[in-house]
Amino acid sequence: MNDKSKIEKPVNVLIVGVGGQGVIMVSKVLALLCQTHGFEVKQSEVHGMAKRGGGVFSHIRFGPKVWSPTIPKGKADILLALEWAEAMRWLDHLKPGGTFIADTQRIVPPFACRNRKRGAERNYSRETPAEIIDKVKNGYALDAEGMAMTLGNRRVANTILLGVLSTALDFSPESWQAVIEKFVPPHTIETNAQAFQEGRSWTANAVKPLPVVSEAPSAESIDITTELTINTVWCKGCDICVKMCPERCLALNEDQEAVLIHPDKCTGCRICEWLCPDYAIKLHKRPNSQTEGTGAGV
Amino acid sequence: MNEISADSFDINEYLRLELFPHFLCPGCGHGMAMRAMLWAVAELGIDKDNLAIVSGIGCSGRMGAYVDANTFHVTHGRPLAFATGLKLARPDLTVIVITGDGDSLAIGGNHLIHACRRNLDITCLMLNNEIYGMTGGQVSPTTTLTRFTTTTPYGNYEPAFDACRLAEAAGASFVGREATLQVPTLKNLIREGIEHKGFSFLEVISDCTEIYGRKNALGNSPEMVLSQKSKMRPESYGGLMSNKVDQPFRPNPFQTGVLARNERQEYGELCRRHIAAKQQAE
Repeated sequence: MNDKSKIEKPVNVLIVGVGGQGVIMVSKVLALLCQTHGFEVKQSEVHGMAKRGGGVFSHIRFGPKVWSPTIPKGKADILLALEWAEAMRWLDHLKPGGTFIADTQRIVPPFACRNRKRGAERNYSRETPAEIIDKVKNGYALDAEGMAMTLGNRRVANTILLGVLSTALDFSPESWQAVIEKFVPPHTIETNAQAFQEGRSWTANAVKPLPVVSEAPSAESIDITTELTINTVWCKGCDICVKMCPERCLALNEDQEAVLIHPDKCTGCRICEWLCPDYAIKLHKRPNSQTEGTGAGV
Repeated sequence: MNEISADSFDINEYLRLELFPHFLCPGCGHGMAMRAMLWAVAELGIDKDNLAIVSGIGCSGRMGAYVDANTFHVTHGRPLAFATGLKLARPDLTVIVITGDGDSLAIGGNHLIHACRRNLDITCLMLNNEIYGMTGGQVSPTTTLTRFTTTTPYGNYEPAFDACRLAEAAGASFVGREATLQVPTLKNLIREGIEHKGFSFLEVISDCTEIYGRKNALGNSPEMVLSQKSKMRPESYGGLMSNKVDQPFRPNPFQTGVLARNERQEYGELCRRHIAAKQQAE
């Protein structure tokens, strides 16, 4: 691709991730790199509630002449995803036979945890990397975050992915490194250079497809039994626990004493215990479901 | 320091159970403040025999009676004076003073500023419920303007103290404020205050639901506890958004979190060094 004449149509690269991961930084690196090689580059991004962990995407198109800044559905040559669920969300933008690069790390958004019942399944993407890699043919799924952790800085995960991306494009590694150096903080230049090499060598050594399954926390692992005991002798019926309980499990009975009316709904958040001015409520948590009985009473 | 999680902390270990249920009104915020304090003590792994709690007169003063530790229940307004003597005589004890707004700012105002000035290593927990609750609801130095109490039947017209700024100006080396709504945050603040070497002044915004809340129609207990949320302004809001800037929009100026922290010479050490030097000279 160093030779301009080789490219006639614009190359479409779609970079997606979650706010704070460095999607914009990655796209800036790629855009500047293409620019220094004399291509026309158009970049378009959305980073709405990025700081709150919302989705971020960036379209990059480069070539001799680029008209539109956005990539139509099913036309992306390369999809680079910094997070697994975002990769699934944007998979339909990848063209058949396009290159798919994804980090398998999971950032579970609050929306996926709306069922607050104990042991409830999270509403997160259920596709495993193996399934997807099998379908896209030309795909890489790697645990870039884990690799970055071994390098000592989890924030270089995006540079590792840039290393993988560099093997799919035809620019020289040195020019990639030179551009990356311009965007990272000076004291992390060395780590980033290592990370970039790590990404490149991973791609060279990888037996493709190489699915890396990162385990989502299973329902069993968060299954706890909570038992709420209410000392009705101490309870003065101030109503605080009843009104403050997010699940509305408590109520006052006719004697103005707090009672647990929905033991099954209790998530064990301890708000009632902490806010009880009379120390009448005590919550016991047990890691497994050995005891069945949950109920009120002294 | 041993880490005590929310699971393993059992408040009953720190209470004189024969005195329970306590005498505080339903929904009183002081109970939550005491839980936070005992939780902080448990987290720091302070032995009950090495914990001394000095409390004055008032609803807050009663807290001392309920804790199973070395406790003093002393004269009105003088817990800091007693605590000063105690800490100088027994520097190995962890001394926590529980006092109220009337106790520490009105009758004990003088003791407060001098305790701040000396910077002795004690932790002062001021439970501010804006009223003299135990004696029937008289106006206190922190009662908000226009609020009704038994002694201000036409509304309070006296300006209120900002106790934290007073303590900071008087020289307290650690000043913080938190509300009882956020028990874990309050626990962390108290823990930091106990760990701090020097005088820690912590204001706890508490509720008097039965007298103050009823006289001013502030709602029932849960509503009063929830309204603390709009009273508070976390520390991180400080700096650019100082009190002056948005006062017209948010009239309640309670900034929470650690408000001041400065390293000063601790009084106990100073005192002991002085005595040792004099003894050597003789």
